[in-house]
Amino acid sequence: MENILSVKGIKKSFGGVHALKGVDLTIRKGEIHCLAGENGCGKSTIIKVISGFYQPDEGSIEIDGKGYPVMTPSDAIRAGVQVIYQDFSIFPNLTVIENLAFNQVLANRKKLVNRKEFRRIAEEAVAKINFEVDLNALVETLPVADKQLIAISRALLENAKLIIMDEPTTALTKKEVARLFEIIADLKKRGITILFVSHKLDEVFEISDSITILRSGENVISCPASEMNEEKFAYYMTGRHFDTQQLGQKKKKGAFGETVLECEHLSAAGFEDVSFQLHQGEILGITGQLGSGRTELSLSLFGLNRPVSGRIKVEGNEVDIRDVTTAQSLGIALVPEDRLTEGLFLPQSIIRNITVTRLDGLAGKTGILNSKTVTEESEKWVKELGVATKNHELPVQTLSGGNQQKVVLARWLANRPKVLILNGPTVGVDIGAKYDIHTLLHQLAEEGMAVIVVSDDTAEVIATCDSAIIMQGGRMTGRLESQDLTEANLAKAAI
Amino acid sequence: MKKLKTMDENVLRLTILLFAFLLIAGVTKGDSFLKVSIFQTMGKQLSEYGLMAVGCGICMISGGIDLSCVYVANLCGIVAGLLMQKSGFPIWAAVIAAIVTGAACGAFNGFLISCLKIPAMLATLGSYQLFQGISVVISGGSSVGNIPKAYSAFGSVTVMGIPAAFLVFLAIIIAMSFFMGKTVFGTRIYLVGTNAKSAMFAGIKNKTILTGTYMLSGLISGCAGLLSLARINSAKADFGTSYTMQCILIAVLGGVNPNGGFGSIPGIAIAVLILQMLSSYLNTFPDISNYYRDSIWGIALIGVLIINFTLEKRKTARQAKMN
Amino acid sequence: MKNLMNKLIKQTEFWVFMIIIVLALLIQARSGAFFANNNIVDIMRSMICPALYAVCALLAFVSTGPDVSFPLIAALSSYLAIVITYGTGYDGPWFVVYLIGMFFGALMGALNGFIIVKYKFPSLIVTLGTSSLFSGILLGAFEAERMELPDTLQRFGSMNLLTVSNEKTGLGSALPMTFLILIVVYLIAYAVLNFTMVGRGVYAIGGDEISAERAGFDVKKIRFGIFVINGMIAAVAGLCYSVMSMKYLPTEFAGGEMVVIAAIVLGGARLTGGVGTLKGCLLGTLLLTMVTNSLILAGISVYWQKVFIGGIIIIGTAIPAIQYFLGGSRGKKVKGGEAA
Repeated sequence: MENILSVKGIKKSFGGVHALKGVDLTIRKGEIHCLAGENGCGKSTIIKVISGFYQPDEGSIEIDGKGYPVMTPSDAIRAGVQVIYQDFSIFPNLTVIENLAFNQVLANRKKLVNRKEFRRIAEEAVAKINFEVDLNALVETLPVADKQLIAISRALLENAKLIIMDEPTTALTKKEVARLFEIIADLKKRGITILFVSHKLDEVFEISDSITILRSGENVISCPASEMNEEKFAYYMTGRHFDTQQLGQKKKKGAFGETVLECEHLSAAGFEDVSFQLHQGEILGITGQLGSGRTELSLSLFGLNRPVSGRIKVEGNEVDIRDVTTAQSLGIALVPEDRLTEGLFLPQSIIRNITVTRLDGLAGKTGILNSKTVTEESEKWVKELGVATKNHELPVQTLSGGNQQKVVLARWLANRPKVLILNGPTVGVDIGAKYDIHTLLHQLAEEGMAVIVVSDDTAEVIATCDSAIIMQGGRMTGRLESQDLTEANLAKAAI
Repeated sequence: MKKLKTMDENVLRLTILLFAFLLIAGVTKGDSFLKVSIFQTMGKQLSEYGLMAVGCGICMISGGIDLSCVYVANLCGIVAGLLMQKSGFPIWAAVIAAIVTGAACGAFNGFLISCLKIPAMLATLGSYQLFQGISVVISGGSSVGNIPKAYSAFGSVTVMGIPAAFLVFLAIIIAMSFFMGKTVFGTRIYLVGTNAKSAMFAGIKNKTILTGTYMLSGLISGCAGLLSLARINSAKADFGTSYTMQCILIAVLGGVNPNGGFGSIPGIAIAVLILQMLSSYLNTFPDISNYYRDSIWGIALIGVLIINFTLEKRKTARQAKMN
Repeated sequence: MKNLMNKLIKQTEFWVFMIIIVLALLIQARSGAFFANNNIVDIMRSMICPALYAVCALLAFVSTGPDVSFPLIAALSSYLAIVITYGTGYDGPWFVVYLIGMFFGALMGALNGFIIVKYKFPSLIVTLGTSSLFSGILLGAFEAERMELPDTLQRFGSMNLLTVSNEKTGLGSALPMTFLILIVVYLIAYAVLNFTMVGRGVYAIGGDEISAERAGFDVKKIRFGIFVINGMIAAVAGLCYSVMSMKYLPTEFAGGEMVVIAAIVLGGARLTGGVGTLKGCLLGTLLLTMVTNSLILAGISVYWQKVFIGGIIIIGTAIPAIQYFLGGSRGKKVKGGEAA
């Protein structure tokens, strides 16, 4: 089989930082090739090189047998390279028709709008993947999956030979992912090559024919998917070996301490009639797909989604969690789902990010802060959680994803919570940092803290939790204890 | 040295600029510029819009903006003036009523922004019309004069040569610097201004913080209104309308980030000083029109933005390398 | 039909239209004079300048963010056009004076555009700064004062499109030729925004700048172009204002920007960009013009005018929030932080 893409020895640096240190990538025609690697390994840089947005400092690019000494974005498009970005490159304020037609009309250098032509292009695009959608709808009113399908059908319009999908499953539900994979398989049948960028193990194994792994700007391995396994994958990504055995051990029901948190027939916006108990030292998973009510449930426990009926008891006393402050005083902490927009104050210092929840305590009754006390508190936690930074007066945005997550954790651990809720604790976190965070959770549970892990990643729930409740469509559909907590049982409970 | 390093870089730059300017002014126009009377006039003039700039500045730090400062000030001046005209109404009570009015106006802004979630720019755009309208209605559209001598005397009182109005300005600046820099509430204003959603998840009561911030802004504007009532002996619904833009300009010059989360009160204060001196300095040249001031401010604003932009870029690059 | 109704109800423009109708009927009921021919012509006449400014505000809002410099661009460019006309003793057709004004307006707009595109500063702050700069040039450097208009503009100003007089009250009113300019500007703007790729690009970059760049729009050029065109429209508005008052009044321009912004926001323009129509622009301007012009007809003292405008802006901008609360209580959309 011929190669659709062959890049050799690509080097690229930005202001003295070497993003790519000689990357080779060969993709055969008609295959589904997975490009994996941790954050900052150079994945997005190589994509930008292939799509013509960056000029490499060194190296050669060959697409479909033709060499490109200098490649511009329009060269790449003409050669049949299409990129589907994580944000789908859409215009939420415009109609589906315009979203579909713009690229082609602009590529043809047309200056005027021809409504009929716009519609024709849009109809042609949706027909390519049998995508049913109201063409006159505003894109902002559509679900995420539809936005992605718009991006895919738009890419197909341009006679794409190689479609690069950058982390395409991030915002999708399980069902939507399945549908996406069907479409990918269908594209493959039609002879279109897919470069699938992902760091999710299960997905990579499920659909790819071959795999290339990048680590800090170099490719460490390229091989058929059949020669790869989980352990190797983690090793090539991080260069570290992990002992996941110990984390997988589950405690039996009797092994926990007192009941800390109890919900009885709790209902609020997004979910109904949920009951469960949580004990000291227990790690409970709340799992379910997007829209299952898992996030809403966690928000209710944190005072951000007022229950309409049912009861919440903390250490046996019925409580009314009106707001975050109440939750805080009851010893409940929550690490939100999206670290960047809900967790951190990106341009502010690490000190402020860590001490934000402790300000009242640090100031005492006067409400006046002593900068020395604040600094010491922050230093303590930086050390305790091993946040890798030289100067914690730097903005938190200068840290890596894993270290940022540790900062958010530190903020809540400083309050010594009884219940720690983590919503998607390892989304967008490297394998290495993920391991660290899971280890930390076990350690905290050992010390008697009750932990709730809210996640749609069933592998994560199985690996870290002692028990799990399964949510679907706003209802609790089951609870699995210790040994019963397996992939098969989770799948069964979710139906 | 370490102390100097931890000092806000922007404040440091502005301070250097201030002294450099004083030096140039002293050398070129020493005889007519470095005079007590000039500094006294400056002190009185800058206090009013300086205070409004602080009010607007804290709102910008909280991630919003307050376009209503000037009109709150006018309303407060009118309220105080009308009450003082009534015989037998104690002056101190009128002053308190004015300050309460300012705080109430601010709280109303805060309510619109934090509870009704109207973008700050639009909310204060609407409310300033409303406040101005109320001023027109209660003052009958004309200027409120006839202020008791006992009060208007305050406009000309000096303490050791320093105008009382400037002392009020200084006191508020010091109080606000402390408030924003050292208190829990102040710190929270910065955090809410950086990312309101993260603040909510971190247990900060955004509504309280925002309402408080705008209330404070209204209160400070109220003080500005009282100062101008004393200085010009009257209050009017459309007095000083061009101050609105000047306030934003000063706040940005003083280092407040228009996107929220950053800025310092001393920075705003020094920016006020620089601009007032600059325009007073220009006044000593008889053939330069006073209106040039506007141009200089405009250029200064955009110049400072560009300088900050370039310096910030370098700083980020440096920090990225450090970690 | 039902579909059409549904669609209408969702549009802000529809609601503004309803408010206008209700307000008009109320004023009519109280005074019986709202629908009098002279009042209608008066309102149309008063709308000309704000409606022109509204196009500037709309283009800036949809693509980038607030532009507050148009009143001073109007003041300075119309001043320059008039002074040059005097200086050269030009006495030909009026539109040449307009072209001179537009040239200077374009230059000033280009300055805005350059700074905003190059440094990506917030447009509010940049245009604030340039306004201040232009004001200094106008009143400081040129020491502009009120002055009579050159003959060519005087002639243009005394031409009327239509004159009406109310038989009952004997009050008359005239619609100046500048109204045609307003119509032409709106027609051109409508055609460009809806039927050219550049026009769609204005909405695209307001919707998502990065996506627009990837799709092949020249974001920088479009954004720069918008500010240049804003400068030109502002110059036209400035000259229209002078022509209609038959005098050049340098200090009468500043301060109008906020009400214009309020008008377009009432008309449905979104503060975050990407959304806003010319229809909404006109309706928003009409509503605020009605309040300023006709409240007195309804027996409400002019003193209350500002209170009404402020109230309308606050209520108008609070509508999305109120809708959200109503929608939110049904528990439809609860995700992440939106719950609180």
